[in-house]
Amino acid sequence: MKFRAKINDVGCLNHFTRVVNTITKLTKTCVVRLTVDNIFFVLSGKVANGGVSMWCELLQVNFFDEYQLEGVSEDANEICLEVNPENLSRALKTAQNAKSVKIKLTKKHYPCLTLAAELPSLSSISRIVTHDIPVDVIPRRLWHDFKEPSMPDFDVSIYLPPLKTMKSVVDRMKNLSNYLVVEANLCGEMNLKIETDLVSVTTHFKDLGNPPWGASQSQSQSRDVEAMAHARVDIRKLQQFLMGQQVNPTKSMCNIVDKRIIHLILLQEDVSLQYFIPAVV
Amino acid sequence: MPLSTQSQLGNDEYVLVATLDNVRNLSNILKAISFKDYAIFNVTQNGLKVTVEESKCLQANAFIQAEIFQEFTLKEGVVGFQVNLTVLLDCLTIFGGSTVPGVSTALRMCYNGYGYPLTLFLEEGGVVTVCKINTQEPEEPLDFDFCSTNVANKVILQSDSLKEAFSELDLTSEILQLTMSPSHPYFRLSTFGNSGNAHYDYPKDSDMMELFQCTKTQTNRYKMSLLKPSTKALALSCKVSVRTDTRGFLSLQYLVRNDDGQICFVEYYCCPDEEVDEE
Amino acid sequence: MDCVATGGNVKVLAKAIHSLSRIGEELYLEPTEDGLTLRAVNSSRSAFACFLMSPLFFQRYQAPPDQAFRCKMPIKSVQTVFRSLSSLERSVEKCRIEMNNQKSRLRITLHCKHGLLKTHNLSFQDCECLQAVFDKDNCTNVLRAQPRLWVDTVLHFPPSLEEVCVSVSSDRVWLRNHVEDDADSSKAMMTELCLSSEEFDHFVIGSQTSITFCLKELRGLLVFAETAGLPISMYFDEPGSPVVLSVSDSVLDANFVLATLSEDAHQRNNNKANRPRAELPPDDFMCDDIDSYLIAMETSDLAGPSYEPQPQTSSSNHKSRRLSDEEVDEKEEEEEESGEGQPNKKFCSLFFGSVLPASSRPTNQTMQSQEVLASDSEDERQSE
Repeated sequence: MKFRAKINDVGCLNHFTRVVNTITKLTKTCVVRLTVDNIFFVLSGKVANGGVSMWCELLQVNFFDEYQLEGVSEDANEICLEVNPENLSRALKTAQNAKSVKIKLTKKHYPCLTLAAELPSLSSISRIVTHDIPVDVIPRRLWHDFKEPSMPDFDVSIYLPPLKTMKSVVDRMKNLSNYLVVEANLCGEMNLKIETDLVSVTTHFKDLGNPPWGASQSQSQSRDVEAMAHARVDIRKLQQFLMGQQVNPTKSMCNIVDKRIIHLILLQEDVSLQYFIPAVV
Repeated sequence: MPLSTQSQLGNDEYVLVATLDNVRNLSNILKAISFKDYAIFNVTQNGLKVTVEESKCLQANAFIQAEIFQEFTLKEGVVGFQVNLTVLLDCLTIFGGSTVPGVSTALRMCYNGYGYPLTLFLEEGGVVTVCKINTQEPEEPLDFDFCSTNVANKVILQSDSLKEAFSELDLTSEILQLTMSPSHPYFRLSTFGNSGNAHYDYPKDSDMMELFQCTKTQTNRYKMSLLKPSTKALALSCKVSVRTDTRGFLSLQYLVRNDDGQICFVEYYCCPDEEVDEE
Repeated sequence: MDCVATGGNVKVLAKAIHSLSRIGEELYLEPTEDGLTLRAVNSSRSAFACFLMSPLFFQRYQAPPDQAFRCKMPIKSVQTVFRSLSSLERSVEKCRIEMNNQKSRLRITLHCKHGLLKTHNLSFQDCECLQAVFDKDNCTNVLRAQPRLWVDTVLHFPPSLEEVCVSVSSDRVWLRNHVEDDADSSKAMMTELCLSSEEFDHFVIGSQTSITFCLKELRGLLVFAETAGLPISMYFDEPGSPVVLSVSDSVLDANFVLATLSEDAHQRNNNKANRPRAELPPDDFMCDDIDSYLIAMETSDLAGPSYEPQPQTSSSNHKSRRLSDEEVDEKEEEEEESGEGQPNKKFCSLFFGSVLPASSRPTNQTMQSQEVLASDSEDERQSE
């Protein structure tokens, strides 16, 4: 079981750092799945218990100049690690101006992801900073918890408004209430609503557009286009998602399963992030 | 304007309709008095007067003249109500209160009289937010009976010079002592904290001093906790007028310039602290 | 005492106070013929800092006729005077410090633009002389570098990190976070930074060694050195004897004296973390095979690491456990008590606080006669 990767390009390094920072904002701990082509950051909260879950996927070839992987075995050429993303963020932060950054799986007193950065210095000899990030290697028998979540059979799928606008609205609503209703229909309309003893607030977004998912999503085909599907969620969880956004998605969308779940998707050319927030009654 | 299409009631049915192209012209000035949850709104043909009070010792008023609004229609002589100011400010800044030039939130504010909510329609970049804030019957604001004929001392200062002093005040001091005098030290702020005392002296001929009219030497003490909220107004203002009357009551009037260069006023009244056994 | 600082020196003075506030709660002030001395010590007396502003630092300097005058006051109250550095820079033209012995008041007056006058009358207490024992001139190792290098170095470590270990060889310096021996630390991220001697203005290593000391005080000194734009020199010997961080120019002198972890504690740390690598191992990813770990894990449910800790004698294991107990005690203990419980703490008190008659007090800051740091802690433990 071996893993070693190297970034030489500062643009790639910044991009990778932003992805990791986004993950850090979303969760204290997550599973990193390394495969030959991809790196995945996975949080598999039990939605049934009210937890959120997350699936972030990136194409290694777009980030790394070198990438070598030997998985657990030939038929399972993968490695699964539990990591505190905050550590990874911090390590990457100190490597900001690095000429190159190497990341490898090492065995110190415990298994580590070791990040070594070659930094510019005042002399001809580079500064070398090394961070040993402790990880837990996840045994193969537990891998089934970290498979890509299947797309829920949603009632409505809609493109999200600019995340910055959505963030300021949600931030203010958070001051006023603990729960928020997200509702949307197939006419490209989405509302965010809160209601308390003191105040009711509704923000109306329109002309957002509905992504074409093809015939596979049969449930939404037969739907009244103006009927709203809605889900009431914990505002903090939505706020957390919006707060963490450091990647600039080319597409962002939201799938709603009426009264059950909202499924947020952010897409960039080489990164995708999915986030699931369960509805509360 | 997309706002009007959203309202369930036509304009005819509201007692009060006020619209603003830039909601910051209202929200900023309300921030200057937001130290308590509840605010009393008193609406006349002249505009809005919003009052917040604390412990029967401090009163803050913000005045937003009718001319500040693009539309201001009041069907009755006077309308009064009370709302939660914190909630109102969250609603007014729902789009974040952008300071980017060219991006502003438009507001239509409507009220239909006793028992009805205060309804706000906010619009930015085609996104509309509708807020309904519950109202209550207004309480009678305190009358501080501060009249200009009883003013003993008055100075007008550029706010910057006081901002620095207020940001550095020794908060372990329970009181802020204000000395105004025709002779030295002219205008002095003093604190008496755990570690010693401090005096800030402003000479009367300082170029920060726009007006100096002190006729008798007065030293009054005010509770620090009461004066602290006024720093919010100070921060937004460009000039401040400091007056004391013969009873030692303090009036602080702040001149606030909004994004469009119009002028509004915020005013704080504060009772002096009970005389200590000094004399 | 009556002294006046002007222009940029007001800010230097303010930064010195801010630096000292990172060390202790009280500011010890002593005006002498040699200048104005500002000192602070931390509560466990393992860190001491001293600034000497020479008479030339001031536009006017008048020492009190009574040479033995010293006082202390809460450093917070002095910080209040210099709270906003930006406003200091923007508006303060002159700062006057006067001592009024009769009223036990230190008066600091800031003359600002537009005629604004800020007068602070601070109460103070008389106090004994505060002095640490150190002798930096005889240290075998000396590193000097511009503040920028130190700032860039410290940046790699999290603000929460308390102690850093510095190792030196003839041409390299390694810094690494020091982690306690308790169970939690196995999950801490370990960071190591390697710098070449070429990055330093001055690099003299008499003996290859590793010392561990608190980062907080170094950060405190950096606050000052960066503003003043002055290089920081680091003088040190062996683990257990103090490290001295020092900054000086023609009109001021600053010395931060920090206890270092004593030898035995230090060695354990070194065994645990990898020793400074005089030669970095070749970067071969094949040697980082952790299959053995995985196999151990797959075959048993035990999630424990296959790695065995470095063999340690049972007595040293015992010792490490004791140490952490002591540490907890220490936190609850007032500094006054440090005399009797004496020091099974990991950093031992530097010594100060003795009241010496003014005549016998050396003007030099170094006191050779006193026992240096920490050396007795070993005996103390064995006797228990």
